Amino acid sequence: MSNAMRTPAGAINVERYQGAVAEGRFRRLWNANAPGYLFLLPWLVGFFGLTLGPALMSLYLSFTDYDMLQSPRWVGMANYVRIATADPKFSAAMHVTLTYVVFSVPFKLTFALLVAMALNRGLRGLPIYRAIFYLPSLLGGSVAIAVLWRQLFASDGLVNAALSHFGIEGPSWISHPSYSIYTLVALSVWQFGSPMIIFLAGLRQIPQDMYEAASLDGASKFRQFYKITLPLLTPVIFFNAVVQTIEAFKAFTPAFIISGGTGGPINSTLFYTLYLYQEAFGNFRMGYASALAWILVMIIAIFTAFSFLTSRYWVHYDD
Amino acid sequence: MTEMTASVTAARPPSDITKRSLPASLIIHALLIAASLLMLYPLLWMVSASVRPENEIFSSTSLIPSSIDLSSYVRGWNGLDISFGQFFWNSLVISLLVVTGNVIACSLTAFAFARLRFAGRNFWFAIMLGTLMIPYHVTLIPQYVLFLDLGWVNTILPLVVPKFLASDAFFIFLMVQFFRGIPRELDEAAMMDGCSAWRIYWKIMLPLSLPVLATAAIFSFIWTWDDFFGPLIYLNDMNTYTIQLGLRTFVDSTSASDWGGLFAMSTLTLVPVFFFFLFFQRLLIEGIATTGMKR
Repeated sequence: MSNAMRTPAGAINVERYQGAVAEGRFRRLWNANAPGYLFLLPWLVGFFGLTLGPALMSLYLSFTDYDMLQSPRWVGMANYVRIATADPKFSAAMHVTLTYVVFSVPFKLTFALLVAMALNRGLRGLPIYRAIFYLPSLLGGSVAIAVLWRQLFASDGLVNAALSHFGIEGPSWISHPSYSIYTLVALSVWQFGSPMIIFLAGLRQIPQDMYEAASLDGASKFRQFYKITLPLLTPVIFFNAVVQTIEAFKAFTPAFIISGGTGGPINSTLFYTLYLYQEAFGNFRMGYASALAWILVMIIAIFTAFSFLTSRYWVHYDD
Repeated sequence: MTEMTASVTAARPPSDITKRSLPASLIIHALLIAASLLMLYPLLWMVSASVRPENEIFSSTSLIPSSIDLSSYVRGWNGLDISFGQFFWNSLVISLLVVTGNVIACSLTAFAFARLRFAGRNFWFAIMLGTLMIPYHVTLIPQYVLFLDLGWVNTILPLVVPKFLASDAFFIFLMVQFFRGIPRELDEAAMMDGCSAWRIYWKIMLPLSLPVLATAAIFSFIWTWDDFFGPLIYLNDMNTYTIQLGLRTFVDSTSASDWGGLFAMSTLTLVPVFFFFLFFQRLLIEGIATTGMKR
């Protein structure tokens, strides 16, 4: 566009005129859009350089063998085929992760809802209770809590000390392959605080007069819960369930610390993300690990799509 | 908005409180207190174990030590070749830089999406929301390769620089929601008066947005302080370790011997988070309640 301005003096007027118009339009476009894009610049750089670029690269790598020493070697679907048919550690990791999701999410949400309902009764001391129940959620991701948990469920740990008061001799929960995963489930359930707070916020949106009308009609507390609270809370339940499930699929730190990075005993705490980490940064099979990452994305995407598709049969929206 | 819900609750007719019998209320309190104790017991036990004489740690499940002995803290602090002071410093530097990056970059981005008109805005906004759903595993390996090629591994750059490029879409979303709640007349009037977009952002939007900026800053700090995975991948030299990596190394090197030191150092790593929690509890809880933040 600015070429037109550089035409030598005496060039054809029309061209010069069109150039000026184009120049004007360009200036207007620039004036209208430049501030927006300038503000967006850091994010745009990050999006292309750290998200879109790497995501495409990882898709490519998932079809290669890549150990970071030699350049990636194209192997087609081989990684995916091996994951699907010939990788016992993959199926172990899948099994562990699904067990974790299936046990931790429903228990966590049930506790969160029960406690939120107990707190939503105009009790004195609500802020204190709320804070106490939320604290573990906030501390949960740290190594210290995982260390503490490992001690709690050790053979000479606190849980067994408490059990021995009742004459029960508990096993070594952490190092027993049948129990180890459930110590991690317990840790996750202990952190029910943040879904609880979201439930509390949701419960407050339910108009109080609905309950008054219902109790005038003689509806029991249980019926009120079943007919008013639960249906009106379904959007919040849905939200919590989706968020918590995705988080559960991504769990890493506790399993890493409690098993010392091995996922043991006998792969019983080999979370999917832990297996991915081992393949990528332990064995430097970057191509294979990329394929594992894409499988995880697909699983989460399928799960989320499924939740949204089924939600219209049970999630109740006002509008 | 939370202010509003709070006042609605306060104005709620007291009927359902007064109608309930005293025993029912007592039972609920008793249950909640019991549950609170169960929630807190492991944490309190750890703190108490950290100040007990070494031989007493496992002898009782009680929370009250017979005598206070702080030697575990001294032993733990110097238990590795590098003292925990170095790890604390590293974590502090990283966390503060991440907070700065997130607050600046995410607020710039959010301001553009919430208040500026430009071609393609809705398209980019949809893309930004889409990135919220991408798990970090997808970009992890190429990012690692990229940072390795740049020579950034074993420095704090891979943990910090992405935050200055607004990589936490979640905070952008949070701020967009907040900015949209600020009356448009304010910046329209300023625009009429010839204020530049930058001035509007700096002089009007930011000062009015302190609550959301503080929420983002506090969560950024706590999550970065607690982060284990990022440092685990990018920091291999012990001098660069964060507090979480230091603690994990301490676990591995002392697993059966120095429990007192282990609990003392574990307690110390939780102190800053607990401190933030104590002072900003209201803000944190409102942040969770209105936006459903993860964790």
